[in-house]
Amino acid sequence: MAKRVFEEQVAAKPTPARGSLLRLCLAAWLIPGFGHLVLGRKWRALILFTSVISMFLLGLAMQGQFFSVHSGSYLQTLGFFGEMCVGVAMPAALFLGYSGGDPSFASADYGTAFLVAAGMLNVLTVLDAYDIALGRKP
Amino acid sequence: MALSHITAMLLFSFLVSVVFAVLSKDTPRDRVIYGAKVFGAFLGIALLLGWIMYPLPW
Repeated sequence: MAKRVFEEQVAAKPTPARGSLLRLCLAAWLIPGFGHLVLGRKWRALILFTSVISMFLLGLAMQGQFFSVHSGSYLQTLGFFGEMCVGVAMPAALFLGYSGGDPSFASADYGTAFLVAAGMLNVLTVLDAYDIALGRKP
Repeated sequence: MALSHITAMLLFSFLVSVVFAVLSKDTPRDRVIYGAKVFGAFLGIALLLGWIMYPLPW
């Protein structure tokens, strides 16, 4: 019953313009949770931001490796794009002096996994913000 | 910050569970229940796989 009411409300709402959807997704990618904040979901934005950034910071603390596009390896290139999915966090970390990781550190492999997983979680948050903007989710 | 495998696994599972719960469910109660289930599944399956691999020589 509640689902039918929600679906009727969704059908009644006008579809947002493509440009505004694109800007929303871009904002949601650059700063984790920002898309939800723009859409008025403050608590959801705060929790998502805290979780994704915490995972990223833990990855840095464990000396996780920043991948490079110029490595010549397809897997490392994929890893680079995975880490870039966190948004400005990776360039910011490099700008603030992060060396790119220490592969000889004991927890470095875990750190790298944390960095890439943070990116993947941010992809989910971007897609969720997109769905909310389209009215597919409350 | 050098973490043991179990600690890293606990942190990873917790953070992923929080995100999954927030994105998948709409009410706080549903989110807590679902997040706890996902967290338990992460740990349970990891421990299970660990024990399955334990007798393997490589």
